[in-house]
Amino acid sequence: MKKLINIILAGIVILASSACTKTDNYGGPNASFQGNIVASTGGNLLTSSGSTQIKLQEIGWTTPQTIPSKFDGTFEDTKLFKANYKVIPTGGAFWPVYDTLTIKIDQGTKHDFVVTPYIVIKNFTSTLTGTTLTLKFDIDAPVAAGMPTIKDAQPYVNTTKLVGSGASIRDFSDVNAVTINKDFIDMTAADKSMTLTVPNLIPGRTFFVRVGVRLSDSFNSSNFSEIVQVDVPK
Amino acid sequence: MKSIKKLIITITVGIGAAVTSCQKLDIAPTNIVTPDIIFNSQDGVKSLLATIYADLPIEDFKYRPDGGDPNNGNQRPGFNPGNPWMNFYNTAAVTGEEIGPFGGMDIGGGFGYWPYGDIRNVNTLISELPKHTASLTPATVNSLLGEAHFLRAYYYFGLVKRYGGVPIITVPQDPGAQLSTLQVHRDKEQATWDFIGAELDLGYQMMSETNDAGRANKYAAAALKSRTMLYAACIAKYGSTNFVDGPARAQGLVGIPADQATKYFQAAYDAAKLLDGHYSLYNQNPTDKVANFTDLFLDASSKENIFVRQYSLTLNINTPAGPHSWDATMSPGRMTSGGLSRSYPTLEFVQLWGNLPITNDDGTPKRYNNLLDLTQALEPRLRATVYFPGETLRGLAFDTQRGIYPSFSGTAAAEVAKAPNSRTWQLQTDPNVLYPSKTDPNAKQIIGFTGISNNLGDDQLTRTGFYVRKYINYKAAKTDVDLYKSTQSWIDLRYAEVLLNRAEAAIELGNTGDALTQINQIRDRAGATAYSSIDLTKVRNERRMELAFENQYYWDLKRWRTADVVLDRAHFKGLMPYYVFNENKYIFLAETELFNREYTFQKQFYYEPIPGGQINQNPNLLPNNPSY
Repeated sequence: MKKLINIILAGIVILASSACTKTDNYGGPNASFQGNIVASTGGNLLTSSGSTQIKLQEIGWTTPQTIPSKFDGTFEDTKLFKANYKVIPTGGAFWPVYDTLTIKIDQGTKHDFVVTPYIVIKNFTSTLTGTTLTLKFDIDAPVAAGMPTIKDAQPYVNTTKLVGSGASIRDFSDVNAVTINKDFIDMTAADKSMTLTVPNLIPGRTFFVRVGVRLSDSFNSSNFSEIVQVDVPK
Repeated sequence: MKSIKKLIITITVGIGAAVTSCQKLDIAPTNIVTPDIIFNSQDGVKSLLATIYADLPIEDFKYRPDGGDPNNGNQRPGFNPGNPWMNFYNTAAVTGEEIGPFGGMDIGGGFGYWPYGDIRNVNTLISELPKHTASLTPATVNSLLGEAHFLRAYYYFGLVKRYGGVPIITVPQDPGAQLSTLQVHRDKEQATWDFIGAELDLGYQMMSETNDAGRANKYAAAALKSRTMLYAACIAKYGSTNFVDGPARAQGLVGIPADQATKYFQAAYDAAKLLDGHYSLYNQNPTDKVANFTDLFLDASSKENIFVRQYSLTLNINTPAGPHSWDATMSPGRMTSGGLSRSYPTLEFVQLWGNLPITNDDGTPKRYNNLLDLTQALEPRLRATVYFPGETLRGLAFDTQRGIYPSFSGTAAAEVAKAPNSRTWQLQTDPNVLYPSKTDPNAKQIIGFTGISNNLGDDQLTRTGFYVRKYINYKAAKTDVDLYKSTQSWIDLRYAEVLLNRAEAAIELGNTGDALTQINQIRDRAGATAYSSIDLTKVRNERRMELAFENQYYWDLKRWRTADVVLDRAHFKGLMPYYVFNENKYIFLAETELFNREYTFQKQFYYEPIPGGQINQNPNLLPNNPSY
């Protein structure tokens, strides 16, 4: 019996010592990449869900991956493999960036991308009369020549601070869109000063509101205003 | 003595065995089909052709543009999906021709179609056939080669309309060759279309005038050429103004220079003209145009059919030519003995023919004595394409009704704009519930057996008030209508499309006279009034009306580059019939379809992404299409 136990123990020792001597020497996805998408006109580029993203292509691999921009124009991914990447911002309402940047992504890598937005929304004000919200704003274009046609302008209304295209209440938002279908250079000063209304908001609720101007670029993407809070009294 | 006998026997057996054995070890294996067996007889070639035809990317009843259920065994996504009965998953169900089971634009990214295995079969056929002229006769080899060129063009058309430029492979690749020669690059989009055009020219020159039913003849090649060249022309013309930029576009892998458009329009026009006098529009019943347009899709002897796919009840349901389920999945359960429907024509589609007379000049809904009265003034082709409320199928009426108004006042627009809970309607989920009560002598059903149910989770009854009529086999008895019981052929190429191709090419080339002639031929057969003038919008709308539900409009939207405009957060409407109890009349309201789904076509969908698995095997397929 003792002999048997000894044999088994010896077996375990031999197997344990011979197995798994090689440790996994590949680094985990412990690199990170973060930064801002800065508008050339100042401040971060305000975005929404499903629009602006950073496209990364690990050199030596074929499938790209993306980091979506947050609503405030920042981005962050903390589970990347340490390697050299080609990176480029894409998908949003800014003049296309053609120069891919080759960057070595390691722990805590930071980079800010500067892009030129198609449209800048200025002087954004909101006034609530009863349950009707009036939104006024002016649009400007840093580069007017060759810009994609402006499709429409619309309010985005949601009950959370995450508000934008794909994150809004349709009956308050898409329904109140105003069709434009004009090129910026053909627009008069009056055209560029816009007013949108959102009627029949629900009394006693808090809403988060912004406006967006949509362009017929490759992504039908929108430039957005900042987000304001609207408390509808009871 | 005994031992000697034994010895003799042993030696004899030994010698005998030695003499008779090991005659030939290198005989051909009897369980493997060798090229000689296939290519030395007509039947052998036919068996290979049957495989090639079966795998052909025909977007028929069973085609699932989202790929469909995971393939079981030998089935493949898209063209031969698992559970091939779900025929309501069609392209019409995302384009606004119908609304259906898709939650939105669920098909834009494709399903990774990559049929180079099938193309290899054709390439093998093309390389082997010329070696067998002795046994097959040169004339047979010639026409079979023409057929092979048609088939190869068909496969490449299935690729190019999805991906733009793809590698053009014309000979069977040797699996033992060096990796670098196997990892081919993509050809330019224009080169791919040109290759297809040249293949179809060969098909037209080499094939004979007639062929077995279900196989192509020379006119099928000409008809397909008119379609493909029209696609190429539109991509050149409209794709050069509405596009997504990227490296693939810069290299010409997607997109065609705008100045090439005229050449392709002319090629489409010329190809369509080749069919002049060889086919005709189906007009067996000129006095009853509704019946005529219905039978066009059911009559196998139709002179309009150029290329069809046939189905058989005797074949396995999981094979491409096994029976389909159109009848059991396009009509409500009331008219069938099994199956269920989930796709329904929209009001927007129906109003291509003009607004329906449902409101009076003062905005109030028009009152009708019965449901069918609405259809009386409509174009016969529309009635033959869509089942309106009040129509009859297999002796049973579409008693479609959304609900009852005890009384109705005011305008249609004001009623539809009201919040649902402030409307005075009676809605139901159960057609057996009567209003005002079961015992009332004048009691009426609140909803019909064919809809419209207020159970908003259920889409097995119409969500729009309409059902599809095109291709429905009204002659089949109800007891014969079930899953995997339908065998009417899919008409992949029909003469009406060729005329529409010709008209579209003509109007793009500025030849309005010819366009008007072709369109009026179509309109006459349809029972519509003839046009006295023509423009591009009229030509395109005629195409939509004539070819509705035939899996054409999705590709038309793509090649016209209007999909991202037409399907931009699009919602669709239905025609909701109500019974007004105190007046004993019916009214119709145009209202949002019950699910109120949204459809958005992103610009990147004009091209599908090259399948990731293929890029991993062959990085030379990069760059991928723009924005992927």
